[in-house]
Amino acid sequence: MNNRLKVLRAEHDWSQQDLAERLGVSRQSVNAIEKGRYDPSLPLAFRIADVFELAIEAIFMRDSKGDEAG
Amino acid sequence: MTSAQNAGARKWITLFVVAVAVICALKLTGAINSTTGFILLAAAMILLVPFQRALARSRSGCASEASVRYTRRIAISSLLYVLGLGVAITLDRRMELSGALALVIALLPVLPIFGMIWAMARYIIEEQDEFLRHRAIMASLIGLAAVLGIASFWGFLEQFRLVPHAYGWWALPIWAIAMGLAQAILSWRDRREASE
Repeated sequence: MNNRLKVLRAEHDWSQQDLAERLGVSRQSVNAIEKGRYDPSLPLAFRIADVFELAIEAIFMRDSKGDEAG
Repeated sequence: MTSAQNAGARKWITLFVVAVAVICALKLTGAINSTTGFILLAAAMILLVPFQRALARSRSGCASEASVRYTRRIAISSLLYVLGLGVAITLDRRMELSGALALVIALLPVLPIFGMIWAMARYIIEEQDEFLRHRAIMASLIGLAAVLGIASFWGFLEQFRLVPHAYGWWALPIWAIAMGLAQAILSWRDRREASE
């Protein structure tokens, strides 16, 4: 799954630590999600969407391949 | 975690590793007997107390208080394990243990091992950060893979008389070492990626 976390963070001028504190998770979590190495659970994805005041699908996008089969 | 706070925890864990290495060297060279070795090892484990406190200080305000509790529980279990093992081995060498008494003595190091397994289970339950929890589960699965792989491989080597018999209690140290290495490698990978 791809995401726009890094771009959105830059727009708000937030560091990974700033975002982590807003979400109540570790900075490592933000980093792993941002790099696409860890897909967040649905509750965390909703928290991320709430923090940026956006819909989930405006932040997370499916991969060009693989996810489309379902 | 700042570098100064990191240094505090690092200092204590380094002291602990050096102390254990020195005790192992003394035992292997025959400078001390097993009983003295166990007493010294139990004393060295007291170094884990300031390590745990330094870790707690460095992580205060951070997301993972569960990992501080986990470290404290593992430190206590490890101390009890070393003490239990020392007492059990010393009594086994000096007395003819059998029946119910042998069972009770055998439980001395086993109960703290159950404590370590419980501490790991509690960590997975208590960790609120889902990514850290995921990483801990992956590391414990890597530890399990190491136990299954090594035990099966060793078992067949033993079957064909290529290696000596290994006791079942090796399962936990192999699991813990493999899990620790996996955690260290995963943490290092995360730190490296974060700094890129």
